[in-house]
Amino acid sequence: MDDTADQDPVAGGEASPAKPLGIIVTFVVFVAVVALVITLLSLHAYRSPAGVEVAKPIGTTTVGGVTVPHVTLSMATYPDAAGTSDGAPVHPGGNPSWPSYGHTNQFQVPAHALVTVTVTQYDSGGSLNNPWFAIVQGTVGDVMSVDGRTVHSLDPNDVAHTFTVRGSPGTDPGFFLNVPLPAVGGNDQSDNGPHHTVVFSFMSGSKGLYVWNCEYPCGTGVAGFGGPMSIFGYMSGYLHVV
Amino acid sequence: MSSDLGVSSDVDGGPASPDAGEQPGFFSRPGGKIFLIWLVLTAIGVVLGLFAPKHLFPEMLSKQGDTAVTTVVVFTVLAAPVAGLIYAVAAYSLFAWRHWGGQGSSPPEDGPPLRGNTPLTISWLVVTSLLCIVLLVWGLTALASDARTAPNALQVDVTGQQWLWTFRYPGTGVESRDLVLPVNRAVEFDVTSVDVTHGFWALSLGVQVDANPGEVTTIDATPNKVGKFVIRCSQLCGLYHAFMYASGAVVTPAQFDQWLQSQGASATSAEQDAEVHPAARAGGGSVEEG
Repeated sequence: MDDTADQDPVAGGEASPAKPLGIIVTFVVFVAVVALVITLLSLHAYRSPAGVEVAKPIGTTTVGGVTVPHVTLSMATYPDAAGTSDGAPVHPGGNPSWPSYGHTNQFQVPAHALVTVTVTQYDSGGSLNNPWFAIVQGTVGDVMSVDGRTVHSLDPNDVAHTFTVRGSPGTDPGFFLNVPLPAVGGNDQSDNGPHHTVVFSFMSGSKGLYVWNCEYPCGTGVAGFGGPMSIFGYMSGYLHVV
Repeated sequence: MSSDLGVSSDVDGGPASPDAGEQPGFFSRPGGKIFLIWLVLTAIGVVLGLFAPKHLFPEMLSKQGDTAVTTVVVFTVLAAPVAGLIYAVAAYSLFAWRHWGGQGSSPPEDGPPLRGNTPLTISWLVVTSLLCIVLLVWGLTALASDARTAPNALQVDVTGQQWLWTFRYPGTGVESRDLVLPVNRAVEFDVTSVDVTHGFWALSLGVQVDANPGEVTTIDATPNKVGKFVIRCSQLCGLYHAFMYASGAVVTPAQFDQWLQSQGASATSAEQDAEVHPAARAGGGSVEEG
């Protein structure tokens, strides 16, 4: 054995001393790189090509005997994310043939305020996976106005999109808003194209970051929840309550 | 290996060497040191197994939840000696039998392979087999439930969809995104999905089962404490998987009836509205009933 050991290249080698400084530096660099990647991804996820639309204050109103701020928001749903509407791109850099909310997917409203939202809906539609989402929930009176007509629910087989907002444990867990948007017969997103005008009001919750998304399977792939439904910014976004 | 560990002659009662009187004590030899490390690690594992689960789990609100915690405790305690032995041998080997190198030295050759130790082989097989059988019997017993045979079991239809849970109470016309249950009444959850695979996970009820599209999977629980809990999705299901949660509550039977009535009132108004939109009724499902 000893003879063999003498011929072993390992034999007689000087053992490498421990290098704690090198290990620590390597570990710190690794953590820094991971943190940088996560930060960049987070920033990318939060970025909206068209920025954040801030609700416009129009005064105050009384809800349940309490005077609260009253603000308005406007948004639209389009059949073509790569197209334009009202002279502006629907979704800058958007994927053609994908539907999208526009002109942004991020909205900012004050906390505990009455928010009146006007949605112009240009897209065609079909059947919801769950008819439950055809019911208006969380708005004032659980109703909305469709082209001037007050309704509480839609035909679940003729829905284009929904605007569904939910709270989370970090914000207001009980907050929930669901507004189904009726489909139109075509996919003309020009200003004079066929569309529905949906108006509803809701009370915003506590301060925090809320997520919203569409619950109609308007995407691609499995169950219609791929493509625009699985990539942030088309049929999903944030509601900043400040 | 036993001779390498230096425990064979003493532990197995083997013949003592001529200079046995000059040999160090049992705890000074490798086998004794490993035994001590094993004792310490096992004690730590047992203590952690007995006390940590109570702090790691939320308050359990059902018989199944209590059983789940007890199972974790028992399994951890039973596994502690096995894990302790592995870690003890590994740790001692890494530090005591490491070849530290140095000028002119070379790593020693491997020791002789273990062969022909029949008592050791039989002992190891019997002990591990018994452990596995105990764990299997315990697990199957814990999984068994009497909820399906309960005459007054409450049925709840659980539907997962991207990215929300909804709960229907058949026969009541109620569908809600909150799960409210009466205490001390067996519940049968019929779980499904309308899009992709989700995971119905009510940890405080000791319930976790996949929600598969096109399939209904049944799981049971019997709430035995009043309290609130959270339902989450345990299967990565898409963009807002992290937000797919629901609130749950176990309430008294009177409070449950009251809650159903309050939901029924809103369901009635929804149904009246559905009459304005006949297609909504034709849509079936929750709109029709809700």
